[in-house]
Amino acid sequence: MADESTRSPLAQRLTRPVRGPMAALYRWMDSRLGLADLINKGLYEATPRRGAWAYTLGSATLVIIALQIVTGMFLLWTYVPSVTEAWDSLNFIARHDEFAAIVRGMHLWGAYILFVVVGLHMVRTFVSGSYKRPRELNWITGVILFLLVLGLGITGAMLPWDQAAYWTTVVVTNILHYIPVIGHWAREVWRGGNQVGPVTLTRSFAIHIWLLPALLIPMIVAHLYLLRRHGEFGSWVNYDPDATEEELAERMRHAEPPYPAKPTEPAYAVPADLDEFFPSQTAKDGVVSFILVLIIFIMAIAVGSPLEAPANPAILNYVPAPEWFFLPLDQLLVQFPQSWMIPVGVFIIPGLASMILMAVPFLDRSPERRPWKRPELMVPAGFAVFFLLFETMLAVNRLFNL
Amino acid sequence: MSRRRFMVLVTNLSGAGITLLIAAPIVGSVLSPIFQRRTHPWIRLGDIADVPLAQPTAYVVHFPVTQAWKVPAVPRIVYVVKLNVSGQTQLLSFSNVCTHMECDVHWDTNLNEFLCPCHGGLYSIEGINIGGPPPKPLYRYEHRLDGTILYVRDVLTEA
Repeated sequence: MADESTRSPLAQRLTRPVRGPMAALYRWMDSRLGLADLINKGLYEATPRRGAWAYTLGSATLVIIALQIVTGMFLLWTYVPSVTEAWDSLNFIARHDEFAAIVRGMHLWGAYILFVVVGLHMVRTFVSGSYKRPRELNWITGVILFLLVLGLGITGAMLPWDQAAYWTTVVVTNILHYIPVIGHWAREVWRGGNQVGPVTLTRSFAIHIWLLPALLIPMIVAHLYLLRRHGEFGSWVNYDPDATEEELAERMRHAEPPYPAKPTEPAYAVPADLDEFFPSQTAKDGVVSFILVLIIFIMAIAVGSPLEAPANPAILNYVPAPEWFFLPLDQLLVQFPQSWMIPVGVFIIPGLASMILMAVPFLDRSPERRPWKRPELMVPAGFAVFFLLFETMLAVNRLFNL
Repeated sequence: MSRRRFMVLVTNLSGAGITLLIAAPIVGSVLSPIFQRRTHPWIRLGDIADVPLAQPTAYVVHFPVTQAWKVPAVPRIVYVVKLNVSGQTQLLSFSNVCTHMECDVHWDTNLNEFLCPCHGGLYSIEGINIGGPPPKPLYRYEHRLDGTILYVRDVLTEA
């Protein structure tokens, strides 16, 4: 355990020695595991006081990902990843296992709400300029997490092996063959042959439940480690860029871990007013996460998770439509026809967009955090969001004739 | 209540609420097999006119799987035994599932007993556990005779 004098006043106030009959066991465990230090580091940190509600989105994302992992784990108690039984096993859930149907509904609505929350989390981080020095890697791990979540969403949509799942599998695996030179092989590797079939489903399943989560979890750990290392930025409202050097020096003197954030400009190193992560921030985090989980729970019961007719490529009047979060990409497939343009729509535009997104901290290196003073960032980003919504609207209009 | 204690309370309550909302349907789905309603249709075993006295005869019966989605019916052995009990023919239909660890027992013609290959359990021709570890006699299927045609269903009774 850290020496009493070196620990922050917050931590000193909150970590009392354990008494009673369990004390010896606790001390034995703690001297080996270092749990007290870990809890200290995890809970007793300073966070910016203002704008704390906007900073609940990250923990909400974490809670919903945990919900996805747990509900997914228990869907595996019934779901069979086989073209002959996947649909039947989910139909069994729908007809005979009301509780598992809620679990499946929560997994679907959890995914939907997750996309919304991840999107808001990114927008919030972008607007407040929280990705700036020294938090560039927080942003980059976040973008990688976003891409992994997209991958989890689309592979999850392939698993029920109903009509929607089947055509999602066909289109997504077929996109791979437009990769120059190696495309055909890439498609065959995922499909396990040149046609979508039993091996394809097994592979999509393996990607969904092992490959992507195995990448996701360490990336989450890295994201959280970086958060703890540099502290929450807490948006521009907590800082005063016009403060005098004396004021900033005074602020530095009262900084509590993990502040001052290094290396950064003195004006943005320490928030003006600090609060305790536990319990002040965790209470707000808890309220927001609880409301979101409650929405997921209610939607799982009220709407549930649909199961279309079993996959049948011989039915002609079925109109395949992707999950809503892939509609902008689906629209690009329409807008970039003909062999030489297709790769532009499926690889170059989404690839460039991902790379630009990842490069944001290096494209915007000014110390300025206030959004209205960063129009060169905010305007293009606004256009990007508008473009995504516009493409979604076009796709909805095309597929559903609204 | 201080602001701090209130925040701790809110943190703990929301954590408990989240856990409850996620756990409740999961616990329900995990426990659902316990509360499932089961159906036990009658299955035609076959004509038993030719089954000799005191010679357990194995029939393969395809029991439909009613507690999951549509899968092929499972073939299982039903031993039909005719015994002469004080001048009357008694008809028994045994499950060949050992009451010890549920391995498959078979009628051993050298021993003239049912033998379980896993742990050496022995049962008499009446299905009584007479040697080895089995704690109970062989279970009997509920059966119904229609002329010489025997029907069984997947409801087991103790001897």
